[in-house]
Parts: sequence; structure tokens; C-alpha cells
Amino acid sequence: MAFEPKEPQKEIKYQELRIYSDEELNNYTEEELKQFKIKHDIPDVEELEKGPWPSFVADAKREALRRRKLADDRMLIDRDVVEDMLGQLQLSFDDGETHWKHGGIVGVFGYGGGVIGRYSDVPEKFPSITAFHTLRVNQPASKFYNTDFLRSLCDLWEYRGSGLLNMHGSTGDIILLGTTTEQLEPIFYELTHELQQDLGGSGSNLRTPSCCIGKARCEFACIDTQDLCYELTTYYQDELHRPAFPYKFKFKIDGCPNGCVASIARADMSFIGTWRDEIRIDQEAVKAYMAGEIEPNAGAHKGRDWGKFDIQKEVIDLCPAQCMELDNGELKINNQECVRCMHCINVMPRALKPGKDTGVTILCGAKAPILEGAQMSTMIVPFMKAEPPYDNIKEFIEKVWEWWMEEGKNRERLGELIQRFGLPKFLEVVGLPPAPQMVKIPRENPYIFWKEEDVPGGWDRDIKDYRARHKR
Amino acid sequence: MEEIKKAIVEFAESSKKTKFYFKDIEKAVQKKIPDAKAREIKKACTALINEGTLIYFSTGSSTMYGLKGRGITEDPS
Repeated sequence: MAFEPKEPQKEIKYQELRIYSDEELNNYTEEELKQFKIKHDIPDVEELEKGPWPSFVADAKREALRRRKLADDRMLIDRDVVEDMLGQLQLSFDDGETHWKHGGIVGVFGYGGGVIGRYSDVPEKFPSITAFHTLRVNQPASKFYNTDFLRSLCDLWEYRGSGLLNMHGSTGDIILLGTTTEQLEPIFYELTHELQQDLGGSGSNLRTPSCCIGKARCEFACIDTQDLCYELTTYYQDELHRPAFPYKFKFKIDGCPNGCVASIARADMSFIGTWRDEIRIDQEAVKAYMAGEIEPNAGAHKGRDWGKFDIQKEVIDLCPAQCMELDNGELKINNQECVRCMHCINVMPRALKPGKDTGVTILCGAKAPILEGAQMSTMIVPFMKAEPPYDNIKEFIEKVWEWWMEEGKNRERLGELIQRFGLPKFLEVVGLPPAPQMVKIPRENPYIFWKEEDVPGGWDRDIKDYRARHKR
Repeated sequence: MEEIKKAIVEFAESSKKTKFYFKDIEKAVQKKIPDAKAREIKKACTALINEGTLIYFSTGSSTMYGLKGRGITEDPS
């Protein structure tokens, strides 16, 4: 099915946006690269080239050589920026501390995020990176690009920036590394007006929402992750660009419980595609897997001889909810007990499919260990339909934001606020009844406290009498 | 709106600090105008940014507001 954009699309004239010819960019030979030495001595940094993985140092050297050989009028910031960046990195190794200062300038006019100011604290040694700001560029949903777009973006960055970029940062954005203050507005203009490309979020903003590949290429996707991601990005533009939150806030959207963007571990609000009916079973295909006619895991682990596929050992016995059995050669699943681990579906994708009544599970509160320890999301909404215009999801989001903005302390993430007030309070705010699935180990974890008014007949408890027998 | 804007600027000028969290601006405004809503205060802040009275200050992870020209709220270059 061909892609049908919902809104009229401006035609981007990529050929006119190109700044360099391919010859101009391929301006050095591999022999020259071998002989090339940057202007600083960087023995420790060069160690990083020796491991088994591709090295950013090797990439940066290529860029340094390219910039050495480009004509003077073919770049607008200093040609030495890459060499000075590597030089400063060596100095940081020598001193055991960073020489970057960050903060201050935050963006282009009217934007409260998208640019992170960075400055060298040893500008006399590395003058070209005195100001070396980072730009976050909002990646398209699922990071699908047209190669013309990438060439135009890289040309723009070679011309007005350092040429160094990061595809992609852990935020999901395209990270453009290093330019001067005066280049920020022109870059922003080119990105928005010519390339139809917005900046991403930084600071106390909604951060750039990100999603997995979704229905574009994945048969497991229960929801249209790209559509939801795009809708949240456009609908919450104000929150993305004008900071008024206590701290950062992240949405991440996974199409199924395999969780390829790890929303459960990384987002303040995680959306995970799921189903509420039954896993679809094709019994003929199950038999074919058992007979060895279809490769398990779609052949992903066939590099070693694991022996004949054993459905009992490799699927049924591994089910964490123990809700599967073979009955006279028929696979049966007790769907009520399924915890969406996805293992059986991943092993036998031609026999098992997610159900048809699909939607999202919403979890809240994941974060990295900056202030307190790392935290995973807590399941809050077990199932919600996820269909345009997503009003039900927006209503939930806004209830959560309203509470967090009201009660959250400066630099307090949603997960920390929920911990501070307790899950029962959060459930009151979002208007949901407690469910056993919200508790990690039901009956062992005292996370839910009953209130007297919740229990028919209430209870009598004489605290003085209790304290007479139990000292504090 | 004008009243809220005035309260924001007064707070920013009278404070010893040069950079403020949104939350602190909100509290200060609500002291003077108790029924001011967070959303209105945010809109007033955005208007002041657009006028050039206020300026954003960010560390990358959190954002603060400052009065233009006061403290280190501008790019040193």
C-alpha cells in the first residue's frame, strides 16, 4: 500500500539544497588517510581505534582530513573543530576530568529547547571549539529517511557546523555535534523552512517522542506506532518547545510487548501495544514447527546445531505464566494468564499471532539513575484502545501532567513523584481502581492500602491499645 | 495576562537569584494573584520570551528562566 500523507506535503527540492558535489566530499584517498596526523598528539584517544568495533575516533579523523582539504569558502565555522575536539578529549584523558561546560544558550528564538550550549573551558588551547553547541533534531517516526534528505542534512551540517553527528542519540534525535552561536539561527531556518524538519526537545520539556518500526515492517505491531508518535509530537508542540514542566518528560511507543524501543525502561510514560482477546493459533503451522518443517525463531538461531525443535522444552516449559499445554497434539493457551512475554510468538511466528482486538498498555514512571536509582515503569492502564484521534490517550496524559506540574518538585521525575506520594494517590489522580497487575508481587508487596471507607463496615482499631503492646 | 506578566517581571527583578525554575515563578505569581492558573502563567512567560524580556537558560536536562541582561543568561560570545 502506498503511503498517503494526511496533510498536503511541500515538495522538498533536494537537488537545490545540496551544497557539495560527491567529488568535493570524497576529497582524500585511503593512502592519505593512513599518513594523516591531526595537529594534536592524541595517544590515548587513538587507543579507542584498536578494539573490535568501529571507532568514532577513526570516523572523526576522516572528517578532520576532509575539512583540511575543503576549500576555505566551503565551510562557515573553523576547519580545525574536529582536530580540536579530539585534542580536548586527549586533555580530558590526561586530567581525568571533562573540559566541556554546558548550559546557557538553549535554543533559537522562541524555543526553550533543541539546542544545548557547550563551551570549552580551555579555549586558549583549542580556540576553534570555544563554543561548540549541540542541536537535537526531531527524528522522523521510526527513523525512516530518504537518502536525499540525509545528504542534504549532512551538507548543511558540513557547511554550517562541524560535520560531526550522531545517528541517533539515546534520546532518539539526530544529534548535530558542534557549531558556533551565530550559526544556530541560520541552521534552524534551513531545517524548518527548507527541509521541513523541526528541532527536538531538551531541558524541562516534553522530549521528542520516539517509537519502534511498528506496522511499517513488523508483523507483531498491535498499534500504528508511527501515527501515535506523530500525533503526540504535533499535538503537544507547545510542551515540546516551551518548557513549563518540573523536569524532562518522555513518551516512548512500542508496537508490541517485545519492546524494541525499551519504553518500559526509558519513558516517563510508556505505550506498549497489546491485545485483549486471544493469541491466534494456526494448529497446522504448530504441527509444521513440531515436525521441523518450519524453522523456529524464523531461523534466527540456526548457526549452531541445537537439535530437533522441542516445543515442550523450548516453548511450553518456558512460558512464565505456565499457561500453555499440548493436548493431543493441539496447542492450547489459557489466555487469561498470559503475561505478554512474547516468547511463544517469537519462536513460532507463523503459528502464533497477537490477538485482533488491539490497543495499548500504558505504564508510567521509568527513568535513569540521575537523582535516585533507575526505575522501570509501573503498569497503570492495562488496556486502552489506540485509534485516531487518540482522545482517550490525550485525556490520560493531561490528567497525569496536571498532577505532576502541580505537585512535582523542581527536577522531580514522574516516577519519583509517584514514589513520594504512593501509587494509591496516583491512581486517585488518574481515576483508576487498583489492580493486581500494578503490584510486582501480589500479596507480598504492600503497595495498596485499603482505606476504611473502601471496606464495607469499616473497622475498629484502638491505636493506644495497639501501642501498649507494640513499642514504636 | 498583563497583570501576570507584570508579576513575573517584578519577581524576577526583586529576586537575589538570576535564574528561576518555572515552579518558583508560578508560586511567586500565585502569591500575588491567587487564581492565576499554571497554563496562563506559562503563556505569560512565553509572551515575555517572545518580547525579549525573559530568556531561557538550560543545562540540557532542565530549563530555567532569567531576565535578559541580568546574570549569565546570555551567550558569552
